[in-house]
Amino acid sequence: MEILRNLARRKLRSSLTILGIVIGIFALTTMGAMAEHFNALLGGGVTYFGSSIQVGAPDGQAAILPISKIAEIEQVPGVVAAFPGYTFPAKPGDVTTVSFGIPDEIVAGDPAENNHGALKTTVAQGRQLTSTQRGEVVLGSSIANEFKKKVGDRIDLPVRPKDAQPGFVNHTFTVIGILNPTQTAPDSFAYINVADGQMLFKEVLPIAIRNSVDTSQVTEGITVYGQPGASLAELDAIANRINSQVAGVKATRPSELVNSFKAGGAIFTAITTAAAVLALVIGGLSVVNTMIMSVTERFREIGLKKAVGAHTGHLLREYLAEATLIGLLGGGIGYLLGVGLTNLLNLAGRASNFEIFLVTPTLTVIALGFAVALGALAGVIPAFRAAHLDPVIALRTTN
Amino acid sequence: MANIELVELTKHYRQGRTVVRALDGVSLEIGAGEFVSVVGRSGSGKTTLLDLIGLLLRPTAGRVLIGGEDATRLRDNQRADLRGQRIGFIFQEYNLLPALNVLENVMLPLRYTRSKVNGRRRAQELLDEVGLGDRLKSRPGELSGGQQQRVAIARALINDPSVVLGDEPTGAVDTETSQELVGLMRWLNRERKVTFVIVTHDLDLAVQANRMIRLKDGRVLTDEPVEHAA
Repeated sequence: MEILRNLARRKLRSSLTILGIVIGIFALTTMGAMAEHFNALLGGGVTYFGSSIQVGAPDGQAAILPISKIAEIEQVPGVVAAFPGYTFPAKPGDVTTVSFGIPDEIVAGDPAENNHGALKTTVAQGRQLTSTQRGEVVLGSSIANEFKKKVGDRIDLPVRPKDAQPGFVNHTFTVIGILNPTQTAPDSFAYINVADGQMLFKEVLPIAIRNSVDTSQVTEGITVYGQPGASLAELDAIANRINSQVAGVKATRPSELVNSFKAGGAIFTAITTAAAVLALVIGGLSVVNTMIMSVTERFREIGLKKAVGAHTGHLLREYLAEATLIGLLGGGIGYLLGVGLTNLLNLAGRASNFEIFLVTPTLTVIALGFAVALGALAGVIPAFRAAHLDPVIALRTTN
Repeated sequence: MANIELVELTKHYRQGRTVVRALDGVSLEIGAGEFVSVVGRSGSGKTTLLDLIGLLLRPTAGRVLIGGEDATRLRDNQRADLRGQRIGFIFQEYNLLPALNVLENVMLPLRYTRSKVNGRRRAQELLDEVGLGDRLKSRPGELSGGQQQRVAIARALINDPSVVLGDEPTGAVDTETSQELVGLMRWLNRERKVTFVIVTHDLDLAVQANRMIRLKDGRVLTDEPVEHAA
C-alpha cells in the first residue's frame, strides 16, 4: 500500500514511467503474438513434413504421377503407408502479393492418412470424412470462420471468382465437420476425399489433355509414412531409397523441408527478441531514472528508516519491490493492451483469413515475467544506493 | 548501572588535509529516567554526540554502552537492531513519511523490529497520550508542525526504548508550541520513566531538563543539574 501511495504522490512521473513499460511490453506482446502465430504455422510445417516424405514428379516434369507408383513405393523397405494427394486453390484468382498465412486450399486425401502423420486433426463439430461418401467436406477452423459455415451447411468449391470465365466449374459440398484449430496449415484447408479430388483434378487439367487422362489413375503427389516416431534421419534414408529404387519419382528428404521451416522461424524469433530489446531500452531506462529520482527525493525517509532499525536488506527489498511493482503495473497494462489490439485485429481479419496474431501462455509468461524482471533489474542500482546510504548524511539532507 | 555510558568517546573527521576534532574524549554516564539537555555553539559537537549515542555514527575511538552493552564493535545490522529496540529519535523536521497516515507513521519502527505484538493498540495508546487519538487516519500534511512533532514523539516511544534522543525537537515550531512539546516530553519522562537526551540551541528548553551538559570544541565544558523553581 505504501508503495502505491508513493507512486501516487508523483502521479505524472509515475505515469510516464509506467507508460514507458507499457509501450515496451505492448510492443513485445504484439510483435511476440505475430511471431508466435508464424512460429505455430512453421511448427505445423516442421511437424507435418518432419513425419512424412513428399514424393512428386521428377524436377522439370508436370505434377502428375501414375497412381501405380504408390504400390511401388510401398515395396521400399521402411515404408509403412503411401497415400495419393491433390491440392487446389480454394479461391482461384485470389491475388495476394504479401501473404501472412497459408492460403485457403482444397486438399483431397485419404482419411486414413490422419492415423499416420504426427500432425493430427480432430473435429470440433460433426465428423471426419469417409473414403466412400462423395460430396462431403471437412473445413479447417479459419476457413469455416471465413465463410461462416457450420456443420450441415453447403459450400461451393472452388469459390467462384468475381471475374470467372464462362467455363468455370465448381461443386456443392456438404459441410460434415469443422476441425479444431491447429494454428497451422489445416486451419485454412477444406478437406475432401480422393474420389472428389480426382473429379476436381480433371477439371483443372488443360482442355487439350483433359479427356485423355483417367484421373482415377493419376495423382499430383504421394505422401509416404514410415514407422510412427521415425526420426528425420530414418525418413531421409527412406527418401533416398525411394529415389534409387522407384523410377520416375522424386522424393524430397524431410530434413531439407524441416530446415527450411526452421530458418523461417529464426526470423520471427529475431523479431520477438528485437521487441524485447526495445522494451528493455524504453522501459528499463525510465524505471532506473524514476527510481534514482525517487531515492534522491527520499534521502531523509531512508535515513529515518535506518534510524528506527531498518537493515540494509529491508531497504533493498522495499525499493526493489517498488521498482518491481512499476514493472508489473506497466507490464500488465501493456500486455492487456497488446492482447486487446491483437484480438481486435484478428477479429477484423477473420473474414479474410488474415488472423496473424497468436497470444500463447508462453508469450503471456514471457511478457509479464519480462516486465517484472525489467522493473526489478532496473531497481537494483537505485535500491542498492538507498540501502547503503549513510544515515547521518541521509537524515540531514535538505530536499 | 547507567542507561548510557560514554567512555573517552572521540570522533575526528578529515576535511581535506585538516582533521576536525568533532568530539574529543568525552566520558559521560546518563542514568535511567534522566532528562538531559546538551547545549553548545554550532560546531561544539552536540549533534555528533547525539549521532554517536544513537549509533548512527561510529566513533574514531572510545566506547558507547547502551544498557551495559558495548555497541562500538557491533556490525551494522546489529547496531540497527539495537537502535530499533532501545533508542527512539525525534528530529527537528519531524521526518514523518508523507505516504503513511499518522497511525502508520507511529507503527513504522515495528516494521523493522520483532516486537510487533499489539503494535496497533500500543500506537493508538501513544497517540492518545500525545493528544492525537482522533487523527489516526490523517496524513502528515494535514497536521500542524506541533502535531507532527507529537506524532514523531509517539513514534519514538513505540518500541518502549530506554532512551529518546531529540535533535532540536522544538527548532521548527513557535514558542507556544515549543512549550507544549517540552511539557509533553517532560510528562512522558516522568510517567514512562523514559530517558530523554535533547540537543538544543534553545536555552529555554535546555533549562527545563534535569541536567544540562555544555559542550565546547568537542569537550564537556560543564555537566550539572538544573535547579527548578519550586
